[in-house]
Amino acid sequence: MTSDAADTMPLEAYLAQGGKLTTPENAPPRYRGELLRLMATFIDSELAGAAGFAEIINQGPGIKERIAASRIVLEKLDHAERVLAVMGEFGADISRYANHHPWAERVARDSDLGAARHGADMRLAVLHYPLQGWLDAVVMNVLMGHAVVIQLDEFTRLSYQPLGEIFRAILPRERRHKELGEEGLRKLLEDAGNRPLVAAALAYWRPRVAASFGSGSSAHFETQRKFGLRHTGNAELAAAWERQVDDVLRSAGMA
Amino acid sequence: MARFFPLEVADIRRETRDAVVVTLAPRAEDRAAFDFTQGQYLTFRRDFEGEELRRSYSICAGKDEGVLKVGIKRVDGGAFSTWANEGLKPGDVLEAMPPMGAFHVPLKPEEVRHYLGFAGGSGITPVLSLIKTTLAREPKSRFTLVYGNRSINSIMFREELEDIKNTHLGRFNVVHVLESEAQDVELFSGRIDAEKCARLFKGWINIAAIDMAFICGPEPMMLAIAAALREHGLRDDQIKFELFASAPRRARHVVRTANDSGKAATCTATVTLDGMTRVIEMAKTGQTILEAALGASLDAPYACKAGVCSTCRAMVVEGEVEMETNHALEDYEVRQGYVLTCQCYPLSDRVVVTYDQ
Repeated sequence: MTSDAADTMPLEAYLAQGGKLTTPENAPPRYRGELLRLMATFIDSELAGAAGFAEIINQGPGIKERIAASRIVLEKLDHAERVLAVMGEFGADISRYANHHPWAERVARDSDLGAARHGADMRLAVLHYPLQGWLDAVVMNVLMGHAVVIQLDEFTRLSYQPLGEIFRAILPRERRHKELGEEGLRKLLEDAGNRPLVAAALAYWRPRVAASFGSGSSAHFETQRKFGLRHTGNAELAAAWERQVDDVLRSAGMA
Repeated sequence: MARFFPLEVADIRRETRDAVVVTLAPRAEDRAAFDFTQGQYLTFRRDFEGEELRRSYSICAGKDEGVLKVGIKRVDGGAFSTWANEGLKPGDVLEAMPPMGAFHVPLKPEEVRHYLGFAGGSGITPVLSLIKTTLAREPKSRFTLVYGNRSINSIMFREELEDIKNTHLGRFNVVHVLESEAQDVELFSGRIDAEKCARLFKGWINIAAIDMAFICGPEPMMLAIAAALREHGLRDDQIKFELFASAPRRARHVVRTANDSGKAATCTATVTLDGMTRVIEMAKTGQTILEAALGASLDAPYACKAGVCSTCRAMVVEGEVEMETNHALEDYEVRQGYVLTCQCYPLSDRVVVTYDQ
């Protein structure tokens, strides 16, 4: 990795053609800002998600369920730590970062944040709402699990290769979290009495998770696309998610 | 925050007319910190006329050689590489951060894999480390190298590559492609581009048998090779890139002038983002530069708002600001004019800030 001055090309053109960057030194200032912002959103969402789920573990109806919930919490923290390490290579103070926000804090259940960021961290708005018990957490995890997998799949192709590789390694585990959610949902639905409760939880969470994909047309997305940090538009990702959720609910008899 | 350690120059060897190989020795207590993985690089820092320069150079040693070596090719006008090539001598002490980079895959002795490496010019340095380590640690695996240079005299590690071929008979193969020299086989003249790759994959390299490809070189070469590899069936996760990092890409020297005594209670802030400039009248207290920029509907990057993550970094081109907290920028960045805008309040009556530099 030493340099030949000749034979190079503008970085914007390189990225536009699918080129990859591999070290903080490669990253021009605006690219750096956008990459850090993307990482912060992921890290904050994982930390806030794990903090919210941690409080639910003991409400699991059996040991198996509690193990599943513990595993989700453990692995989401691990994923946050891995991405935070990349942020550290850009200069972030990683030990301070992990504790700079009260990750378990939530807004009132009936608040309406839309897709906007709230408070001082970068978590997705949906992760500001409180979970209300085991059933509510399972439903939220099914919906959010599908959203996370779709979003991560998009991120595996991003132009900062060290980060793309981490997302690629994380993806199967996040997919497993989604499956654990689906197993939990199936189990809950074995009791017909839970159906109206699941329906109510779906009605609460579905629009909130949908909003986390962001608006259909966004200037910010264009900036990310130009840098090779994103490829598929928000509306397209959201539509894929809607289809997946419809399928899941249909096979669970909840459509 | 980055930590630098002293490394003593144990040996310096001229590799080609404009490249040296420097052997470095960490202090006994720092040895563990410099236990590198093949393909990683070291970032050095040094003061040149009062300005700190940082440059990264790849380790060219294999893991089992028991030494730490980097290759440094002189770049026209490059202060660090010129100094390393002309002024550096044994006994000198360099300062470097521990090895970084992920240009490698985990090796397993029982694996039988075929690796393909592409190197352009001094891009050979990390690839050489991969070749030596892989052949030593995966005794059943093979490595093929396609190596582009201008001429035969500019080939770094030419003899060492020949030695490797002899040591690992049948397991290592190198194809030299020379830009400005005619060769017996016409295919081996010119640049490594998409067309060259397609022809190599037809007769010389069985691309279907390749498990993993590594590319290190200038941008156009990497793009062309990656595209050709994908076209021939390799997945993204089978292609590893290492981009040259040394050439500074941003304007370094910014002359800041204190343009006034800062008597007014408000400040005229000029903020640039993505080439778009806004002039904002802001109070000197109560609002940070970041908040002022966001308030003027600039989509400025930020995350933690606590001076920790450095997402909101920008450069003050003119005027004086005060940074309340800084847990992320290093002294040399601050000297260059970088600030964390989430922690910044204007002191002078006029400030000019850009997120684009």
